[in-house]
Amino acid sequence: MFSEYHLNGIFDEMFEAAGQPRGHYRSVHTRLAAMGSDAFQRRRRMADLSFKNQGITFTVYSDTTGVEKIFPFDLIPRIVPSSEWETIEKGLSQRLMALNAFCRDVYHEQRILREKIIPAELIYSAKMFRREMLGLQVPRDIYIHICGTDLIRDKSGQYLVLEDNGRTPSGVSYVLENRAVMKRVFPALFGAYRVRAIEDYPHNLLHCLQNVAPQAWEDPTVVVLTPGIYNSAYFEHSFLARQMGVELVEGRDLIVENNSVYMRTVAGLRRVDVIYRRLDDDFLDPLTFRPDSTLGVPGLMNAYRCGNVALVNAVGTGVADDKAIYPYVPDMIRFYLGEEPILNNVPTYLCSRESDRRYVLEHLHELVVKSTNESGGYGMLMGHQASAAERAKFAEMIKEDPRNFIAQPIVELSQHPSLIDDRFEGRRIDLRPYLLSFGDKVVVMPGGLTRVALRRGSLVVNSSQGGGSKDTWVLEEDGDGSGTMHPDFVAEGVTV
Amino acid sequence: MTQSQMMNGQDRGVTGVANRPMLSRVADAMYWMSRYVERAEHISRILVETSSLLTDIGDLAPALRREYWRDVLRVLGLDAGEVADQMLLGTDEQVALRICHYMTFEPDNPSSLLGCLTMARENARSIRENISGEMWENLNTLYWSLRGDDAQARYDESAQEIYRQVLLGTMLFSGLTDQTLAHGQGWLFTQIGKSLERLDLVCRTIAARSLLLQRPDMAIDSDERNIHWMSLLRNCGSLEAYRRIHVGDMEPESVVAFLVLERRFPQSIRYCVHHAHDAAVRVRAEIDPHTMDQAVRILGRLNTQLEYADVGEIERIGLISYLGQIRSTATDAAEALRKSYFLH
Repeated sequence: MFSEYHLNGIFDEMFEAAGQPRGHYRSVHTRLAAMGSDAFQRRRRMADLSFKNQGITFTVYSDTTGVEKIFPFDLIPRIVPSSEWETIEKGLSQRLMALNAFCRDVYHEQRILREKIIPAELIYSAKMFRREMLGLQVPRDIYIHICGTDLIRDKSGQYLVLEDNGRTPSGVSYVLENRAVMKRVFPALFGAYRVRAIEDYPHNLLHCLQNVAPQAWEDPTVVVLTPGIYNSAYFEHSFLARQMGVELVEGRDLIVENNSVYMRTVAGLRRVDVIYRRLDDDFLDPLTFRPDSTLGVPGLMNAYRCGNVALVNAVGTGVADDKAIYPYVPDMIRFYLGEEPILNNVPTYLCSRESDRRYVLEHLHELVVKSTNESGGYGMLMGHQASAAERAKFAEMIKEDPRNFIAQPIVELSQHPSLIDDRFEGRRIDLRPYLLSFGDKVVVMPGGLTRVALRRGSLVVNSSQGGGSKDTWVLEEDGDGSGTMHPDFVAEGVTV
Repeated sequence: MTQSQMMNGQDRGVTGVANRPMLSRVADAMYWMSRYVERAEHISRILVETSSLLTDIGDLAPALRREYWRDVLRVLGLDAGEVADQMLLGTDEQVALRICHYMTFEPDNPSSLLGCLTMARENARSIRENISGEMWENLNTLYWSLRGDDAQARYDESAQEIYRQVLLGTMLFSGLTDQTLAHGQGWLFTQIGKSLERLDLVCRTIAARSLLLQRPDMAIDSDERNIHWMSLLRNCGSLEAYRRIHVGDMEPESVVAFLVLERRFPQSIRYCVHHAHDAAVRVRAEIDPHTMDQAVRILGRLNTQLEYADVGEIERIGLISYLGQIRSTATDAAEALRKSYFLH
């Protein structure tokens, strides 16, 4: 099944040269190469059925009924050796420490603006900058408690940060479910690897949430706030609440009285201390933000301001993952931490800078243009694939509102073998690890969501754009997987 | 003890874990999830039984045939109106096919099997973190068995198989609910929902059948009468249990007395009322001990009434109005429950 595999002249995760798997992939490669296409298809069907029966789906509203789809799962695992992971982990922690320091600064002293490291107008023009947060004290000075940073690898295999998702990053439930399904349908593949366990994520998440409870209750009440069952990420909201053993609430389940938040229970009102909200700032409180929103809780911001409830992530973190502010993250790391960045950014042109804009407009055909406030692969131009008309449209849009656009050279993402029909083909991937901030330290989940652009030649991995995902294995130690099987893992392999 | 004290950790069970009151919305969804599953179970049973009975005796009693199909609609309150009239046009075979399809897949019919399972699943989906993975997976799989691409083809091949599958699937759901969920507030709400739904449907099923068999124009041959009462028992999933207690006796009075007053059988009305009352009392005790609410009062009275009732009483009042009173009392109880727990 590897016989017609092409390396396509980019960085390939599994092969260093044609027919030569990298050390850490050797064992998986041997097993996969020995397997027939039928056996593989059978496992794929098992995995798909398992996702469907468990209702691990997202909803696509193409017509009135709404179609439930499973997030395509690619059975071939992505493997990250431990030495590589160590660097990633350090780099990501460093970045999140800096981003939190930045949020704190922007909403208080604004040193970084006064010292002109970041232009003040860039902050004030950021759509996600929340004036309401100025001077507001948040518990333990943590703004971004939960972060899902997107990493890609360039042609040389260097990891680069593509974006920091510091608002309400999603996808972590797929990471956990992918692993569970993988153990169920492909136990043999784990073979001799010692893969780091990720199952403690919900436990860590709960601690991360309890850590910011406003009062030192012995047992603070934590809830997950969802927009409801029609939200495309509803599965994840429910999953996390279930895994943590806390209530999943909708806006209508909460009420604010005397600047405290309560939930409506069968025994009357019950105090809520921490809200892990999976709702954008705009929808949180109709009295403060969008008045037409019925998803939030009237008065929530007042309770937050009074310090009676913690919101996770804090309000206003969008200012840190604005794409026009992203190029300054390395400067933030130097400024707040006095360190050199461990992970690099993708070079970025800010259309609000005149020289950059001129360059962008002249080189549209070789750049990716992104709107600074969109996510999920929307509001994007892939210059080399776009038609002249599309490029002209974006050129107009850039001239009209330069602040709203950035551009980056097209990074040739690394590829990884995927099962396409009855053989393996290389497909582009990225990696979204999940980080939890405890203030003085950051806990990084070993692994993350590896997303795959399943369309041939595509560089866009978002699920809304036809992407799939893989299980991601971070190894306990470097090696080719020929060691003995980890005893814990054998036991885990049977209990899915 | 004030409410806030109770919430701050004094209300702990023997395990030392706080007994958290559940969200009103969650309690509401638990209750309805369970009602819809129960409804699907009853409908699939009626569809299996009606088809099978008419295969046996349809030719002997042509007049009854259409009325039996009308009763399928009547039990769910769907027999009046233009849609029902339309469905009852044409040959018997057409009527049967149409009604079966309407009761299985029709998206505009909230009481179709697919409609019930969709509602049950939607409710379950909104409270997944409160039910067990087994319950969810079972309900979800059941839903896809009717909603999936191959459902129509399997139905065309054998509708009976589909109904049996739903019947077993819903019963499995009840079993999983009992075995995988802690018997706390959430479980208690599912029990109240299930019992109230079941007693309502059993009341309607008895009423429809006895009205039909009493109609002078139906001219039921006394040799065949037993078959019709047996089928009523089957519709309520009670035939085997009945037989074991009333050996060789298929008198209408005995059948009715069994379905209404039998203390030991879970499909009987009295059992359902007892079970609903018991669950309501326990919910109250979990949430606010030493107090009583309106639902407990209503169910308690009804429970006592049935406990001391005899067949003569049913005859004096008349079966139809007797059943009508039970249903309306149960409706009051459901409304009281809603006010006490779901509307905070």
